[in-house]
Amino acid sequence: MHQTLFYVGRELLKIVILLGVVSFCVAYTVWLERRLLGFFQSRVGPNRVGPAGLIQPIADGVKLMLKEDIIPANARPFLFRIAPMFAIVPAFVGFAIISFAPAWVTNSGKVHPFVISDINLGILFLLAITSLGVFGIILGGWASGSKYPLMGSLRSASQMLAYEIPLTLAVLSVILMAGSFRLSDIVEAQRHVFFIVPLILAFGVYLISAVAETNRAPFDLPEAESELVGGFHTEYSGMRFAFYFLAEYANIILVCCIGTSLFLGGYLIPFFPYQTFGVAHPWLTSILGLLAFGVKAAVFLYFYIWIRATFPRYRYDQLLRIGWMVLLPIALVNIFLVAGIKLFLLR
Amino acid sequence: MATDNPRAAATEPLRKVMESKQVELNFGPQHPATHGVYRAVLQLDGERVVGIESIIGYLHRGIEKWSEARTYTKCVPVYDRLDYVGAVLNSHGFVNAVEKILGVEVPKRAQYIRVILDELQRIANHLLWLGTHALDLGAMTVLFYALREREVIMDLFESMLGQRLLQNAYPIGGVRLDFPKGWERICRDFVAEFPNRVDEYERLLSENRIWKQRTVGVGVISAEDAVDLGLSGPTLRGSGVYFDVRKAMPYSSYEDFDFEVPLGTNGDVYDRYMVRVREMRQSVRIIQQALDGLPEGELMAKVSRIIRPPAGEVFASVEGTKGQLGFYIVSDGTTNPWRVHVRAPSFVNLQGLETMSIGGLVADVVSNIGSLDIVLGEVDR
Repeated sequence: MHQTLFYVGRELLKIVILLGVVSFCVAYTVWLERRLLGFFQSRVGPNRVGPAGLIQPIADGVKLMLKEDIIPANARPFLFRIAPMFAIVPAFVGFAIISFAPAWVTNSGKVHPFVISDINLGILFLLAITSLGVFGIILGGWASGSKYPLMGSLRSASQMLAYEIPLTLAVLSVILMAGSFRLSDIVEAQRHVFFIVPLILAFGVYLISAVAETNRAPFDLPEAESELVGGFHTEYSGMRFAFYFLAEYANIILVCCIGTSLFLGGYLIPFFPYQTFGVAHPWLTSILGLLAFGVKAAVFLYFYIWIRATFPRYRYDQLLRIGWMVLLPIALVNIFLVAGIKLFLLR
Repeated sequence: MATDNPRAAATEPLRKVMESKQVELNFGPQHPATHGVYRAVLQLDGERVVGIESIIGYLHRGIEKWSEARTYTKCVPVYDRLDYVGAVLNSHGFVNAVEKILGVEVPKRAQYIRVILDELQRIANHLLWLGTHALDLGAMTVLFYALREREVIMDLFESMLGQRLLQNAYPIGGVRLDFPKGWERICRDFVAEFPNRVDEYERLLSENRIWKQRTVGVGVISAEDAVDLGLSGPTLRGSGVYFDVRKAMPYSSYEDFDFEVPLGTNGDVYDRYMVRVREMRQSVRIIQQALDGLPEGELMAKVSRIIRPPAGEVFASVEGTKGQLGFYIVSDGTTNPWRVHVRAPSFVNLQGLETMSIGGLVADVVSNIGSLDIVLGEVDR
């Protein structure tokens, strides 16, 4: 009884902490993006609210909460209301399976994993959950009862379809390599070499598909500001809009975390003496692993913002062509390559 | 119009089959990519454009009629408000026409100063165009780079003319004041540095795969179509037609300067982009030559304080930022013009949009509007 309560309490605490940290990261990713774009574009970025504009995300949040919540006359009110939830919930749920740091084994033998639920089909669960997110966009666009959002959601549907498959195939080659669906096993399988080295093709496919999956520039067609005004969220305002906004950034952080776990060795630190120092100071090792994970994910994130500042936007047909005719063949070839290597060389 | 268009005819069978599924999309007047209050009603077949109807007039201020109740001198600042990102050239167009009907010869020094200011304004306009056009296609950084350089030009205008955007640059008969102290040095530094900045923009765009995919072969308009529709300026030259008012009908001593007229070959969005980028480099050359060869002398011709041109009519044009900016003035011998008509290049160039856009995608309409470089103040007047 006492034991059960301890575990339930521990898991609840972890969930609360993770939700808090992810929400914080989402808010400050927005800030970071605006600041970085400022630097890229030889301007300053937000620097008025608080030191270096650090309170800006909070001010933005307060502003959005106080905004009037408009439901257009033509909208389907029920779907219009629940669509943002469809977008934001999967984005946050996905974080549940990510191992942020090596498990902390206490002296008394208790194991504290730095993951909420290390399920054995973790990566499949993740793919299933993240593809639910598109329903938020499709429903939101359709329920708005307006043409621009409708076009945005149509674009989104075909874009998701075109890029979900290469993305999954890229992830599949990682699974082949690691021999497990469990995310912590995949990370542990990279002890000797990070998967980015043998799976550079898959990494490239993942990188591009992930940008498209999260509707980011240069694949931000569902919301293409200069064509579709705001795309699927044109008619949204106030907190409902904020949900979409948060979902987008949560998704970005999520794909950064997954990419880090799959290709960059997750929490592993290269040339770190895990056998000696790691055994002697398990607690410190976990903390260092957490930091390493953060740094790697931040590099990923930086890359995302960087390409947004640099590239123009693709056109709808070009985007689909790249998905189906470039990325998909590459991903398929990569699967066979990896399977061959695994079968003949690493037996 | 639509049925005469070969490309519209090509989509005709498709149109019949899909008739019931066409969507009418209202594009503007409040839309981030229309560069003002321009409205287009698009007939869409999926994302493909099968029909486009321009609806203008949201910024009509009656400037032409309004000027009939003003003296010639008071008209100049009004015409600044036509193309509000190329105001110096608007003033030049108007005073040029008035000087022609008056028979006034502007002093050489004033002509050179006008050329310098005109070309600075052309660079400023093309910079704003480049930034917004790139932003339309999703490349946001170029805008801020372009505005950084435009800022220097604005400062130059402010220190010489007192205003940054609507300068009321030229009085009839010359220029008001000489360059202030130190102005020439700042201007020289700017034009010496500017080609490097253009290289910077080009590094971001010209060879960028996505940029080329978005612009090459998009919004094609043939040389014949372009001439038939009366297009002018970079939009016409993008189709490979050699016509520049500065070369064809030199005014304000443009015949003294050695510069090239950049031409495109395919008449697509990319060619129009390249023409404007290369024009900025040519403007730099003109400014350098004008600064080097700046003659001494008077700033104003002998013009009576109350301007009363002889009865008659005149048409004179300058190479505006968007194309041939012509002013047709009818004088009845009084202090006010009897009628003024502006041949506004934005208005005429906008006619090309239908030819360019039919058969393309919605995203192409955005790049086409951007490549036309319209300013709605000039379209609606």
